[in-house]
Amino acid sequence: MTTSTLTTTQRIEKEPPAWTRMLDLSDRALAVLLLAPAAILLSLIIVYPVARLAYTSFFSLSLTSGLPAEFVGLENYKLMIDDPIFWETTWNTVLITLITVPGALVVGMALALLANLPFRTQWPVRLSLLIPWALPLSFAGLIFAWFFHSEYGVVNDVLNRFGIPGVIWFNSPNLAFAAICLTIIWKTSSFMALIILAGLQTIPRSLYEAADVDGAGRLRQFFEITLPLLKPAIVVALIFRTITALQTFDIPYMMTGGGPGTSTSTLAMYIHQNTVSFLDLGYGSALAVVMFLLSMCVTVVYLRIIRTKG
Amino acid sequence: MKKTMITGLLLSASMLALSAPAFAEELKVYISSQHQPQVWRQVLDKYEAANPGTKVTIETGGNTSEAQAQYLNTIMSAKDSSLDVLILDVIRPAQFAAAGWTSPFEGKDMSVYLPAYAEANTVDGKVVALPAFADSMFLYYRKDLLEKYGIQPPKTWDELKAAVKKINGGENNADLQGLSFQGKAIEGAVCTFLLPYWSQGKSLVQNGKLTFDKDAAVKSLKLWKSFVDEGVSKKNIAEVATDDTRKEFQAGNVVFAVNWSYAWAQSQGKDSAVVGKVGVTRLPAMTGGDQATCLGGWEWGVSAYSKNQDAAKKLVQFLSSPESSKFMAINGSLLPTYASLYQDADVVKAAPWFADAKQVVETAKPRPVTPRYNEVSETIRTTVNAVLAGVMTPEDGATQIESRLKRILR
Repeated sequence: MTTSTLTTTQRIEKEPPAWTRMLDLSDRALAVLLLAPAAILLSLIIVYPVARLAYTSFFSLSLTSGLPAEFVGLENYKLMIDDPIFWETTWNTVLITLITVPGALVVGMALALLANLPFRTQWPVRLSLLIPWALPLSFAGLIFAWFFHSEYGVVNDVLNRFGIPGVIWFNSPNLAFAAICLTIIWKTSSFMALIILAGLQTIPRSLYEAADVDGAGRLRQFFEITLPLLKPAIVVALIFRTITALQTFDIPYMMTGGGPGTSTSTLAMYIHQNTVSFLDLGYGSALAVVMFLLSMCVTVVYLRIIRTKG
Repeated sequence: MKKTMITGLLLSASMLALSAPAFAEELKVYISSQHQPQVWRQVLDKYEAANPGTKVTIETGGNTSEAQAQYLNTIMSAKDSSLDVLILDVIRPAQFAAAGWTSPFEGKDMSVYLPAYAEANTVDGKVVALPAFADSMFLYYRKDLLEKYGIQPPKTWDELKAAVKKINGGENNADLQGLSFQGKAIEGAVCTFLLPYWSQGKSLVQNGKLTFDKDAAVKSLKLWKSFVDEGVSKKNIAEVATDDTRKEFQAGNVVFAVNWSYAWAQSQGKDSAVVGKVGVTRLPAMTGGDQATCLGGWEWGVSAYSKNQDAAKKLVQFLSSPESSKFMAINGSLLPTYASLYQDADVVKAAPWFADAKQVVETAKPRPVTPRYNEVSETIRTTVNAVLAGVMTPEDGATQIESRLKRILR
């Protein structure tokens, strides 16, 4: 910076081109200038929609009423408190998060360790890791809806072959819930595995060699070397996975449509239903604000964890 | 440099002009994929032949009424002008009118149609859409099996149960289901609930006010659950949607089925195992009650955001004409919206039971008319689904429907 300021001063006597005057800016002004495009873009695509959402949540705005939007303050939030489906879908969402995030972490970790083994040809393992990740969520939901279908599904067929009578998966809230969680874990553990695998490859082999010399067993090596060094990768994977788990929509939507009844419906599905089917944009926005706050809380907690460990 | 740029611009401009449609008018019609777009295509071909310079394309999507509604809700709330003509379920005009999504047909004489459809398409004195086809739910049955056991088509649900037990006892075929109906949480499940409810002489909504009769609701839900519990219907009935019922029946695996008129054409088609063995009659009643059925049918609306208002309205007039109604009755087994067509020789030749169907359509009951119908529907269908899956008792189901409907129609 100093050198460039110097050159500019020298050049002023020779009528410098206009653009070089930019280099005269102070560090702070330059920083603002350089950050501006990103900041403007972010406010357009993130800050504005979120602010607009929060704003709409204070209005009674339903396209089926034929009435113009009316400011109602916290009315939509009050409605939510008495709404049993809001509580049911929120609880389902939390439960899906609590089951599938650790589930995907454990399975993903196992897959990553497997993929990290010194196979001679590694691409088949890595490719099979990528496929579930690359599959669109709604396809995965449809495929598994067929797997678990009581009459045509492969799951009941396999059970029958082992002499276990098949069950009607989507007739029972618990079984339907289990089927959904299994599908989500299958779909998302490969994402966990990919991030963890990247983390694994940054751990120097020499550490394990040293541990071998010191006589540490495999298990000890895992807990003393692998796990602590993987922590940053795991936290990043967990943040992404938890936030997408809180937004779970596609898989239960395709598999059960929230049924039987509303027992497997999630908060995201309820938001979609209120806005897209019922056209109640006010209430739908209020629900979406709650989901946004929920995601924010989780992110803050994780960021705290990183900071204290970092 | 500048010269090449200008030449380039001129070139691309002329190319654009060349690729511009040679038609004066291009219209896009939205038809849900369950509504035989390939048969409607033939009607559109006739229109194109009679109106040179007009090109009509079909966009399909959404094989259930709800999926279709979700799609149109997104398109219309975005004020998207890409669709000119829309097919709408008979339950939607009130919502579309409230949202101002269709252009009214001013001065249209609706008395030419069956009264139920004149009424369904008129909201606050404005004609919101024109009828595409009429419909109601019927009882499909296996004529051959009923004759074999000397059984008359049942007049009550109890008679139907007895008939199934007799046939099952004789046939001893584990794959033969007694009764197929819609238990999945789809629009059809709303009618599932309402059929026995109405049969007890009760109404759900009158003049926008809830007139819920809990006793009748419990009896309705109990009736359907008893079909599952007594083995008349299969255990996974909560997974069954309208088209599943059609497929099961067509494959010869069902004695009785509750379905709309469209199932007839395919049951007599080349993929059917029951050609010539199918009877269609009125739906049974609750013992001591009246036979009641659900009014169906779909309508043609012109999008308020269409840029070709006049051309789109002209097309809808044609699609809703006696000529098109007759063509669709013969080729798509869709019930006509004109009274006289039910006696038409060509129509009766294609679907003999249409001769008796007019009276059924005329007495069919409409589902509640309200702009918030989607919420009413969601409440009823998810509850029916939960009761049939055994998650909820019929009593709790009725309580849930009552409390949620009160909240919606307050």
